[in-house]
Amino acid sequence: MKQKDLIAVFDNDRDLVKAIGTLKENNIPVKDVWTPFPVHDVLKMLGRESRLPYFSVAAGVGAVIVTFAFLYYTAVIDYPIRYGGKPYFAFPSFVVIIFLLTILLTFISTVIVFQVRTGLFPGKEAEVPVTGTTDDKFVISVGSKEGLADEIITEAQVILSANGAVEITEQER
Amino acid sequence: MRETFTIPQRVRLLALILTGIGIIALITGFVTDQSRTFTSLLLNNYYFLSLSLGAVFFFSLHHVTDAGWSSMFKRIPESMASYVPFAFIVMLVLFAGVRDIYEWAEPGITETDALIAHKSPYLNIPFFYIRAILLFCAWIVLIILIRRASLRGDIEEGLAWHEKSKHLSMVYIFVFSITFTVASFDWIMSIDSHWFSTLFGIRAIVSSLYYAVALLVIIVILLNKAGYLEALNKYHLNDFARYLFRLSIVFGYLWFMQYLIIWYANIPETTFYYVYRVNEPWTLLFYAELVINWTIPFILLMSDDLARKKAVLIPVSILLLAGFYISLYIQIMPGTTGVLRIGFIEAGSFLGFAGVFMLLFLRTLSKAPLYVKKDPFIQESVSHHL
Repeated sequence: MKQKDLIAVFDNDRDLVKAIGTLKENNIPVKDVWTPFPVHDVLKMLGRESRLPYFSVAAGVGAVIVTFAFLYYTAVIDYPIRYGGKPYFAFPSFVVIIFLLTILLTFISTVIVFQVRTGLFPGKEAEVPVTGTTDDKFVISVGSKEGLADEIITEAQVILSANGAVEITEQER
Repeated sequence: MRETFTIPQRVRLLALILTGIGIIALITGFVTDQSRTFTSLLLNNYYFLSLSLGAVFFFSLHHVTDAGWSSMFKRIPESMASYVPFAFIVMLVLFAGVRDIYEWAEPGITETDALIAHKSPYLNIPFFYIRAILLFCAWIVLIILIRRASLRGDIEEGLAWHEKSKHLSMVYIFVFSITFTVASFDWIMSIDSHWFSTLFGIRAIVSSLYYAVALLVIIVILLNKAGYLEALNKYHLNDFARYLFRLSIVFGYLWFMQYLIIWYANIPETTFYYVYRVNEPWTLLFYAELVINWTIPFILLMSDDLARKKAVLIPVSILLLAGFYISLYIQIMPGTTGVLRIGFIEAGSFLGFAGVFMLLFLRTLSKAPLYVKKDPFIQESVSHHL
């Protein structure tokens, strides 16, 4: 038997958020959501809040340590030169380099991790169920791995159209 | 929704008591130690002047960028600005103490000190008076115009007064950035008249905005607790916290830039300023300034979930207001009295100025409806959602 997903299209984010709330109350699984711009409530409701900021903080702390170690090694241990009457370990002069390299390393590593985690790479085809999701349409797909029972699909259809879905289609996988 | 603010009797009484303490402190101060009293007059006056001008700057930024989220708080910065005319009066009193505070104003110093003699075309008493009067005139005129445009916009239909406010905000930002630079050079930097830093003006401007936001956060939360500004939600607080977080970075950046360049260049002409301050008895205050104003807010406000909690925002804001005092103290005191002491004169006069600031603020706040119902952004502000 083929499995079916429900694809519901909305015109605005308020209806979309309301619909997701009602679906969750009725224990209907929401598989994915597409929106033209980030809607924070959706991430919160689906428990899909990004953990990228935590990675960034960790990368930033790591970058501070790495840069400091690099500067300390080069300026104090490996090739100590006295300049301007300053001590070898002249901390204030390290700060600017630590500051800049922390920004650079954090930024680069965050971008790389983001690309890897989301599976995005140059030339990748967009996976969108309805073409309008990058423009002005908000889409919920209802479904689960095992497929949905027919009565759940009907229930979901009722909920979605009651919450202002402008178009509901079934999609086979 | 309670639209117009009425001053609670208890708060008015508190403000009056604080003012009374301040008057007593100033009288004892002038009787016992005149130059010390003038110095703390300067510090406190600059402190509150900076907060009120910074608050208007904050709001002007929002007008210019058409930022909607803050328009329901509009009356608060406007009311904070009502301190400026009083600051002018205090400044006129301070004119009498110029010789007590500033080294360059001492009679006969131009004959013994070549550097001050070289700077004397700018740093002389008549020109100092003229500059201060011109600065205050510019601020007072602009603040009256901004307030009037805002009040008229609440009465009349249409966007004409809103556009006018926007235009005035642009003028204010331009004028403020120049005049406040001059003010900080004149009143604070010239205390160490041999020393100079071109970064001083922007530091003063950023500080005024930074601590004005901290004070705004406290006032907004207190008003909310008293039953006003019912639409205040965690997203507004989050936006305020973002201001504080970003400005803490700017503060730390500028603090360090001023230090680094002087440290690196190692020219005796400028290094003495820092050498004096990193040594006893100022060491603790010197580093406390950076820790309180940068490290603590930077760490505490980094996470949005923490930053939107009142239990975090209020202590951080109070700490920042204390940090501003320390920041000014370390800029003013070493060059004037040269002694580290916070006694009755300093603490009492600070409380007195706080009392006057409260009285003026509350009086202006109660004069106009707190809820600006004709502001074009008011709906966006009330239902602000991230």
